[in-house]
Amino acid sequence: MENEVLRMQGITKIYSNGFVANKDVTFGVEKGEIHALVGENGAGKTTLMKILFGMERHEEGSILINGEEVHITSPLDSIAKGIGMVHQHFMLVPSLTVAENVVLGVEPMSNGLFDFDAAVKETQRIADKYNFDVDAKTRVRDLSVGQMQKVEILKALVKGAKILIMDEPTAVLTPQETRELFEQLQILKEDGHSIIFISHKLEEVMEICSRVTVLRHGRCLGTYDIRDMTEAKISRLMVGRDVVLKMDKPQHDRGEVVLDLDNIIKINTIGKRVLNGLSLKVRKGEIVGIAGVEGNGQSELASAICGLDRHTAGTIKINGVDIGDKAIKEIRDLGLAVISEDRMVDGVAADRSVRENIMSDRFDKPEFKKGIFMDNKRINQMVDECIQEFEIACDDRDQPVRMLSGGNIQKVVVAREFTSGRNVVLACQPTRGIDVGTAEMIRKYIIKMTREKDAAVLLISADLNEVLECSDRLLVMRYGKIVGAFNDAKEVTEDILGEYMLGIKTMSDEELEAAL
Amino acid sequence: MKEARKIEAAFEIIRIVASLAIAYVVALLVLYFVSDEPVKVIQQFVLGPFSSPRRIGSILNLAIPFTMCGLGMCFVYSVGKLNMLGDGIFMFSGCIVTFLGIRLGTLGLPSPVLWVILLLIGGLVGAACMYLPAWLDVKLGASVIVVSIMANTILSELSQYILQFQMRDPSTSYLASYPLDPSVSMPKFFTSSLKIQSGILVAIAFLILSVVLLHKTTLGYKMRMVGANAKMARAAGMSVASTIIIAQLLGGFLAGMGGAMEILSNYTRFQWTDTTGHGFDGLMVAVLAKKDPKYVPLTALLLAYIRIGSDVVNSSSSIPNEFVSVIQCIIILLVAAEMFLTKQRNKLICKAAEANLKQEAQSAA
Amino acid sequence: MLTWITDFLYSVIKLSAPIVFATLACDISRQAGVYNMSAEGNMLISALASVVIAGMFNSVWAGLIGGVAVGVLMAAIIAYAHLIGKTNMYLTGLAFNTAATGGTVFVMFMLCGEKTSTNAAIRSYTIPQIQIPIIDKIPVLGKILSGHYLLTYVALISVILVWFMLKRTRLGLRMRSIAENPQAAESVGISVVKVRYISFLLSGLFAGLGGAYMSMAYVSFFSRGMVAGRGWIGVSAMNIANGAPIGSSIAALFFGFTDTLSVSLQAFNIPIQFVNMIPYVATILALVIMNIVRIRREKAREKARLAKMQEKEGSAVAH
Repeated sequence: MENEVLRMQGITKIYSNGFVANKDVTFGVEKGEIHALVGENGAGKTTLMKILFGMERHEEGSILINGEEVHITSPLDSIAKGIGMVHQHFMLVPSLTVAENVVLGVEPMSNGLFDFDAAVKETQRIADKYNFDVDAKTRVRDLSVGQMQKVEILKALVKGAKILIMDEPTAVLTPQETRELFEQLQILKEDGHSIIFISHKLEEVMEICSRVTVLRHGRCLGTYDIRDMTEAKISRLMVGRDVVLKMDKPQHDRGEVVLDLDNIIKINTIGKRVLNGLSLKVRKGEIVGIAGVEGNGQSELASAICGLDRHTAGTIKINGVDIGDKAIKEIRDLGLAVISEDRMVDGVAADRSVRENIMSDRFDKPEFKKGIFMDNKRINQMVDECIQEFEIACDDRDQPVRMLSGGNIQKVVVAREFTSGRNVVLACQPTRGIDVGTAEMIRKYIIKMTREKDAAVLLISADLNEVLECSDRLLVMRYGKIVGAFNDAKEVTEDILGEYMLGIKTMSDEELEAAL
Repeated sequence: MKEARKIEAAFEIIRIVASLAIAYVVALLVLYFVSDEPVKVIQQFVLGPFSSPRRIGSILNLAIPFTMCGLGMCFVYSVGKLNMLGDGIFMFSGCIVTFLGIRLGTLGLPSPVLWVILLLIGGLVGAACMYLPAWLDVKLGASVIVVSIMANTILSELSQYILQFQMRDPSTSYLASYPLDPSVSMPKFFTSSLKIQSGILVAIAFLILSVVLLHKTTLGYKMRMVGANAKMARAAGMSVASTIIIAQLLGGFLAGMGGAMEILSNYTRFQWTDTTGHGFDGLMVAVLAKKDPKYVPLTALLLAYIRIGSDVVNSSSSIPNEFVSVIQCIIILLVAAEMFLTKQRNKLICKAAEANLKQEAQSAA
Repeated sequence: MLTWITDFLYSVIKLSAPIVFATLACDISRQAGVYNMSAEGNMLISALASVVIAGMFNSVWAGLIGGVAVGVLMAAIIAYAHLIGKTNMYLTGLAFNTAATGGTVFVMFMLCGEKTSTNAAIRSYTIPQIQIPIIDKIPVLGKILSGHYLLTYVALISVILVWFMLKRTRLGLRMRSIAENPQAAESVGISVVKVRYISFLLSGLFAGLGGAYMSMAYVSFFSRGMVAGRGWIGVSAMNIANGAPIGSSIAALFFGFTDTLSVSLQAFNIPIQFVNMIPYVATILALVIMNIVRIRREKAREKARLAKMQEKEGSAVAH
């Protein structure tokens, strides 16, 4: 293909902890095309792009630009080779003007001084050329998110980028801003730029891309012409299980509702509705799974339930009591146990011992106290029991948690939350980034909690295997609300799930009502 | 991986010992090069502090305020805050206690009662002062270090004002307060050659209290967890803000009591016209003790030993004792430098891990 | 009365100059995102170095250059500890200041056998005073503005130069971007460590000038602790204007005024301590106000978002 400007050939990336992020991935981008790169979370898209932009090194494979092999070791190399990246989290300096941000690193000079006028001129020239509606003299902090993204694109263009990597560019945009972005991308395309477009939104992919490369579990499933594809076809390629996990789940009766969310709305700091009228109920003795592409409000939902970050409107009831603006401790005392999404941030204090981490939610319970003193004997006994029951591999209870493996750190969290006697469990990404064996153990504990202790579990996970196999009921979340509900998770296939996750199908309010 | 844990623990100690050793060697080199009789001066610096019972007593006495301030900084540090107000509090509490001590004698209360009252007042004044930076930090997010340093000067000026306008004794030729009533002065015991302040008992009592509080009570546990990971402490349901404030109030209390004790033990009048630097000394003592109160007396004694050594050198030769402050700076910087000896430690841990793997492979084979 | 006022205002400028230098030393670090509190100690060391080097070479200019060079050297040491050794910057500043307080006394004693001042041992040199033509002829104003030490005018020019450097040069632009978002700067290939190193050295340059002013203009000898908190007042002034050179220099000028006031009031038996407190109280107040404004603004934004949402909902219902 003489038109090919970029080729990544046989790329393999293995992280130092042994995780294979990319395995023999090959794909090419032609001049003047918008090329979609799709895949589930953790499929290896971001890693692949980090390799291309010089932020990660690959173990095997080669990168060719205009047919010549290149060695990219830093973002600077990459920029010099004509590659630009629009990061998901903007790399901008808010108090500087648009022009200053755009030329940072390649500032125009005259007489040894920074030439602001030239910077403005250059910025405006490129902005006009590609029909970007931004004023070069405005400060970035006064811009809307959509305009900030334009500045990011301008930054890449000013440095001569011919290949633009856009990492989920529409995730932060309003529908109007998305339209505008697409028009601009078309102009860039016609001007001979190539764009690598990473997205979960298949309707967008269908609309503006000419070809699509699908990644799954670090492998490349191939590059397809968009004309030969439908959203359903792409979804089926993206969402799939390599190995079907089977969990033993005894039949169990459901009890009364203990976690009740009604019309939850959350507006985040940039004014986006991240939770948009979400309602759900979880009953005693059942596991309700929430599937969904990450970034559709799952984290915000979890924060709202455990009180870390307040929701804007709606009610959350735990065991029949509205959490309102209760303190976190009070919410937890209503009966909420939490496995947090990021265990190193909210789950454990890494420098402290296994013992001190396990006792952190119960140290002031009367049974572990003698007046103002801690009852170390009982605490130690309790901790040792936890270590034994949950098979935490540590030297002893005084070992700092940071020295344990990821799986064992998660077991510390699980041990604490599952022995606290609380009956509503919020489990966020409970097995993320941990080894297969431990992951299976943790899933078994979750099932055991509902079957033996009659607890209610809300399981939020990006791992399809996990939600499909562990859940009794299954909900799909998209754009901050529930778009699909299935009363029996067993009947759901990954194809159906994928269609709801990716927005090909949406249930009507009546259908949801019936299923909820 | 028991090895990794052992190596880390060992390196914690090695880092501190190496910092001390490097600083000490620098001190010796300085003395060697600036002195006409280097051997004698170095001998005095190293052995001088132990050469007479009086000097040994001085080490112990000097270590008392270091211990109080060091314990205070342990609490402040345990919640991860760098609050330097100890310096100003030490002076201000001393000033307030003098102000009251001049007058309280007329009440005719027995001395021990007066000591308890004055020490408590000193402590409470310290805690009250500490509230400002702690509260501003928690409520408004105003940098605790900046506010505390600014407040240091304010407290210092306030003390000078009280000294000059509220309790100055015009009969003295220098700026000093009226004399303290003899009944409030805390006694020294033992022989005439080895005098030890009674404050040592107070310091020991608070040492024990601090160890118990920080390691045995739920409050102490909360402080340590908040210091280790405030987000996690919050998620676990702990009241982070109040824990952070309480820890700093405790720090202020100890520094304030230290200042009160210093005045009641060593002075007959209040005559400080600037802060005494005890806050910074307390920081150093706490940093060397790794925030653990039980090592504080050790590091306080160490600092006192170096100080007395420099005093001995100062009094018997022409070398001024101020060089110690440079030594202190080197120690702090080396201990605080994350990179100091980190490479060496990581290398050892890697080696241990590799050896472990090899062993496993062998046993598997 | 008029003479008293002109003398007073002359003194305000004289006493403000070292504070302005200290402020600039703090500003330039802050503008690169480093909270540098070492100006107090660095000025003290430079003050001593100026006197000693001037005495050694029998030249006031050698003293000035030497003092500044020592200031830059000290800043380089601090930069190394912080940027390479990764020490906490607050601790580094504090430790350095403590070391400087004792270290200068030690060095002074080793060189002149005196522990309080170099007055007797080292011949004093003074930076020349400058009469500005034309302005010195203007009545009243000429007496206030003209006839200051060379370094006073350097201080004034430095403020403008720093402002200009931050606004108009590449280095300034890069510094400001690093202070706000180091990742953004790093992602376009700017070396954060290198730019911060440069800012440290410039900070040392100003501290050095401030130190030289103290011992070769303010007075013509070195005495222990002679910087007397001016470095900290520099930190205060920097805080009040958040590191902006012009704003913080105005704050510095105001603190120079309070300083002069306390010196002139010293003769009378009135509590100057409260005057001395002003910079520190002002800093705390400024921090409080800035943070309250910040929190209010965030709350207002939150409210606006809510209102917007309700408005949308209202219109949705209407449809």
